[in-house]
Amino acid sequence: MTRQSPPGPRPARPGAVRRPGPADLGEAVARAAREGLLVVQPRMGMAGPDAMAAGLRAVCSLPHPTVGTLTLDSYTRVGDHGLARAALAAGEPLNGFPLVAHGPHTTARVAAAAGDRPVQVRHGSALPRDIFRTMVAAGLSASEGGPVSYCLPYGRTPLAESVANWRAATAEFAGLSAERGLRAHLETFGGCLLGQLCPPSLLVAVSLLEALFFVQQGVTSVSLSYAQQTDARQDVEALAALRMLADEWLPPGVDRHLVLYTYMGVFPGSPRGAQLLMDRSAELAVRGGARRLIVKTPAEAVRLPTVEENVAALRSAARAAGRRAVGDGRVPYVGEVDPGEVLAEARALVEATLELHADVGTALTRAFAAGLLDVPFCLHEDNRGLTQAAVDGEGRLRWTRTGRLPLPRRTVPHPAPVTAARLLQMLRYTADRHDLLALEAADDPDWAELSGPGPAVRPPEADPEPYRIAVVGTGPRGLSVLERLAARLAERPAPRPVEVCAIDAHEVGPGRVWRTGQPRWSMMNTVSGEVTIYSGPPDDGPARAGAGPSLYEWWRDADPEAAAPDECAPRAVYGQYLAHALDRIERTVPDGVLRLHRLRRTVRTLAPEGGRYLLTLDDGRRLRADRVVLTTGHPLPRLTPDQQELASFAERRPRLTYVRGDSAIDMPLDGIAPGSVVGVIGLGLSFYDVVAALTTGRGGRFVPDAGGALRYEASGREPLLVAGARSGVPLRARGRNQKGPQHVYRPRLFTRERVRALRRRGPLDFRADVLPWLLAEVELVHCATALQRAYGPDIAERFRQEAEEAVRKGTAGAGSSREGRGPQEAVFGAAVRCGLRGHGPVDLRRWAWPFGDRVFSGPQAYQEELAALLRQDVELAAEGNAEGPVKACLDTIRDVRGVLRTAVDFSGLAPRSHREDFLGDFVPMVSRLTTGPPLVRLRQLLALLDCGLLRVTGPDARFTADPASGRFQVHSPRVAGSRTELDVLVDARIPDPDLRRADGDLTARLRDQGLLTPYVNRGPDGGEFATGGVAVTGSPFHPVRADGRPEKGMYVLGIPSEFTRWFTQVGSGRPGVWGEFAADADAIAEDALHGAHDGTTATPLTGVLLGPRWHTALTAPDEETNP
Amino acid sequence: MRTVAQRDGGRRRVLLSTVSSDAHTWNLVFLRMLLEEMGHEVVGLGPCVPDRLLLDTVRRTRPDLLVISTVNGHGRLDGARVIRALRADPVARDVPAVIGGKLGIDGDEGAAAARALVEAGFDAVFTDTADTALIGRILGALPQRAPEGRAV
Repeated sequence: MTRQSPPGPRPARPGAVRRPGPADLGEAVARAAREGLLVVQPRMGMAGPDAMAAGLRAVCSLPHPTVGTLTLDSYTRVGDHGLARAALAAGEPLNGFPLVAHGPHTTARVAAAAGDRPVQVRHGSALPRDIFRTMVAAGLSASEGGPVSYCLPYGRTPLAESVANWRAATAEFAGLSAERGLRAHLETFGGCLLGQLCPPSLLVAVSLLEALFFVQQGVTSVSLSYAQQTDARQDVEALAALRMLADEWLPPGVDRHLVLYTYMGVFPGSPRGAQLLMDRSAELAVRGGARRLIVKTPAEAVRLPTVEENVAALRSAARAAGRRAVGDGRVPYVGEVDPGEVLAEARALVEATLELHADVGTALTRAFAAGLLDVPFCLHEDNRGLTQAAVDGEGRLRWTRTGRLPLPRRTVPHPAPVTAARLLQMLRYTADRHDLLALEAADDPDWAELSGPGPAVRPPEADPEPYRIAVVGTGPRGLSVLERLAARLAERPAPRPVEVCAIDAHEVGPGRVWRTGQPRWSMMNTVSGEVTIYSGPPDDGPARAGAGPSLYEWWRDADPEAAAPDECAPRAVYGQYLAHALDRIERTVPDGVLRLHRLRRTVRTLAPEGGRYLLTLDDGRRLRADRVVLTTGHPLPRLTPDQQELASFAERRPRLTYVRGDSAIDMPLDGIAPGSVVGVIGLGLSFYDVVAALTTGRGGRFVPDAGGALRYEASGREPLLVAGARSGVPLRARGRNQKGPQHVYRPRLFTRERVRALRRRGPLDFRADVLPWLLAEVELVHCATALQRAYGPDIAERFRQEAEEAVRKGTAGAGSSREGRGPQEAVFGAAVRCGLRGHGPVDLRRWAWPFGDRVFSGPQAYQEELAALLRQDVELAAEGNAEGPVKACLDTIRDVRGVLRTAVDFSGLAPRSHREDFLGDFVPMVSRLTTGPPLVRLRQLLALLDCGLLRVTGPDARFTADPASGRFQVHSPRVAGSRTELDVLVDARIPDPDLRRADGDLTARLRDQGLLTPYVNRGPDGGEFATGGVAVTGSPFHPVRADGRPEKGMYVLGIPSEFTRWFTQVGSGRPGVWGEFAADADAIAEDALHGAHDGTTATPLTGVLLGPRWHTALTAPDEETNP
Repeated sequence: MRTVAQRDGGRRRVLLSTVSSDAHTWNLVFLRMLLEEMGHEVVGLGPCVPDRLLLDTVRRTRPDLLVISTVNGHGRLDGARVIRALRADPVARDVPAVIGGKLGIDGDEGAAAARALVEAGFDAVFTDTADTALIGRILGALPQRAPEGRAV
């Protein structure tokens, strides 16, 4: 029923309620501001009208300026008014006021309880039309939301639909309100979005854009929200930026104010902490220039607050606002901060969005579709989800991934990756911090008491039978588990004391490979700045589990002359660091919580006994443990038949010596006479160690010569070294380190998400499914580095985006990478289009086998070519691992190891592909290129080649025993005249773990008992790949027994589980990064401690109510399976 | 249900959802990360999942476990309704299903809500005091439902 509206004020529509309604929100706030008062407002919604009215009355009768709130329930939010009505009728509780179901009359009656104070309807809906209509009919004109902020965080409505809903509903709202003589007011919710973990610039941008959207539909009174985040200074910067952008963009006739939301995340647990946070938010509102504050109550963490709680929060906020200078004023004033960075970012986001279309709603839809706006952690389908954020070391929110946001300059991403544990930490950051700060403010100087907001240490029970965990093997892996055990117990002590027996045959703490007494020629291969054993970075407290120095930071204090972050430390120094760390870990928690027993012993036997484990040591002692962690490190399996043949040959000939593969420091090399001819099998890292042992270890020195190269000064006690391997070329050097210790590489093409998606289809073919994407990522870095060097970072960044686009287009139509261009070609093509010249595509195979099938006329010819190749490698390495294209792209392979593990671990690959493509082909190829030693070792090799103390035999070198001559010999079929006779043969190949060949040690015994089994990768088609790795379950890595069941009281971590998992020979974590090294250890620590908390071996599922189907199965001890 | 040997290292397919009226997502973000770190495959449906969508997805993806996480206080009502619909469906009825979060509006409605939800058909209910990581223990004890639907 339509008719022409007459000019002038319109009569009220029929059926509308006629009574003086609540005050205009904008005016009320402006009035309070003129009086210098902050307006405070709660969130409040009750199902029943009487309760709701009572709440409004309580709020609106407070002596300071307040706004009453009608918060709507979840059913109303999603438009399920029928369900809301049904719940009302059935007397079922609702979590808000069902305004539409109640209708305009009831609503108006309720709103009257606010007297002459404003009432605002808060709802969270992507379909606000019915809400607005009912509101206006009830005489209410103030609401909030936004097409983006009430869509993306909260539901499944497509953004375009939400925009259309909001556009129509807002325009109608503005019109209907005007007809009633009211002024529609809308508050943007865009300053909150998910409420946590969103960098302020995005909140400011969306808040402003939503305000512009409202204005475009005819609203003339708006408020722009911003939600308090983790750092007060950053929040004040954001508020300043929001005000500036509002002044720039909103038409002058539009009434506006800023509204601050008290922190919307997890609230502090202690009353003092909660009060402190609430006070801070009031301070922030005042100093940041917000005129209205939406408060929170501590109760909201657990349940909906009562009216009393809301009123108390309002009173307290008003009081805090009145005390403008609170104590030492931790919240800066707007005039004291520089909003430049936030402002520039927010402005860039706003401008990029508005450029897309004149209609703000359409512009927003397109901006999200293009990823120009992208909310971290938002699950909505229309949110691209390419961004991520984290709380940095100073408490500020930073981007960790910027996706496609058009940010003004390359933001340095904060390094720590966000894992589940870290997410919880960050979500709790504000709560924990305020609990701590509240303690400080209460003058509590004792550090020990501030060590955690958790419960105080409980005194040991009257019956303190300790819970015992045995860690067998305390090298870095064992130590990492110990560190996490202590860190967890520090946060949450167990009901009974926990005892950890740290058992190692060589040195408790460092272990065999890193023991402190080893010679100084034995060097690490990773620079000291990239190494740490602690799971968290150091803080202001003493070094302890969870917070300690990197190797470099400790070395710098211990030996300032020698320490350097980009140098490799001697292994003995790492050992000292580990020993020191063990001491610090021990002191993290008092004896009543964790007691450490160091046992420098060998474990002879280990057997399950009555729900625990009985261990016997080599001195006859026995101990019973509740849990056993096997971190035994590099094993020494029985020799293979080939190796055995060589060993036996030497045994029968006293003049000959055969040294089996092992750590170089455990090799019996002292007996090798000077001048003897020593064959060295292998050209890998162990080869470099053996060379060091027999050169600098024999008193020789490397001195720099005039040209910057090295010269070797012999001591005269060195033997002659003749090395050889299949490759014929020693491991290449790693690029000179140019990456900070906290560098974390974020792949763009070879991502975990892609691999997971691939794995959903079943076991992967490495060559067809995985390798093309890895190569594409490597190519991306290769070309980007080359382009950056030639043309600068902007071109490089443009190339990266074009490459991603090219890959996306290329794979959109094609099925697998077998058809047409693979992703690597697409990437390279994009590089050429961006101006790349003088580089071909990455060819790992050619780099790994530089000599191809060539033959050489003689040893001298080969040596010369080899030396030239190594000199070139030295130059490439000197270019650096960030600026040099070759070493940078090779370093990427190391950087994406985690993604490779996602593809390979736990039968990710089909058996044949696992054995042949991955282990047989790919791993040896990349090992040659990426796992090499630091640059200085190559220089040393060149010096040794030059002075003739070292010879490299040539590709396909074969070491054999020659009965005719009674000596060993080596020759390369591709180098004429290369045959050389040898007195000594050293196998410089660290043996792969092979459980099947374990011999005479604990591992062998456990295998024979059926507690450890070798891992077999079984494909669905029946194919099998039998490996020598210990079979383990996924995290927390229980060994799988011979009967196929997991041994739940035991854990296996590190090298023995190689093949089940890939690249386990990692000896440290990265500083400031919670990576796999710490996560693996933490998973074991957490699982092992369950028993301590529950006190039984078959731990019940505390807090979980089980249905009949599972009740027996999950609470009974493991049953026998039918074969 | 017997505990069965895990030849595949224990990787399971988990369908992660919430109830139709629940718009909260941090719980879902966290659970997805947790489950993926445990090595499982997660199919996520986001917030406010209509009953119909959940049922169709269970039928289509045959998850090894359905996890419903809900914190808006309507879990008791909405959870009971959707599990009854699932158990009545001939294809989806067998799916192992757990629910957890904040199940009622009052802080202490936990126990009563938990009983009601078990009766309605959930295999387990995680009350507020349960450690979320226990979900790993439950997953570890489940047999793998092969795509054909057989227990392996």
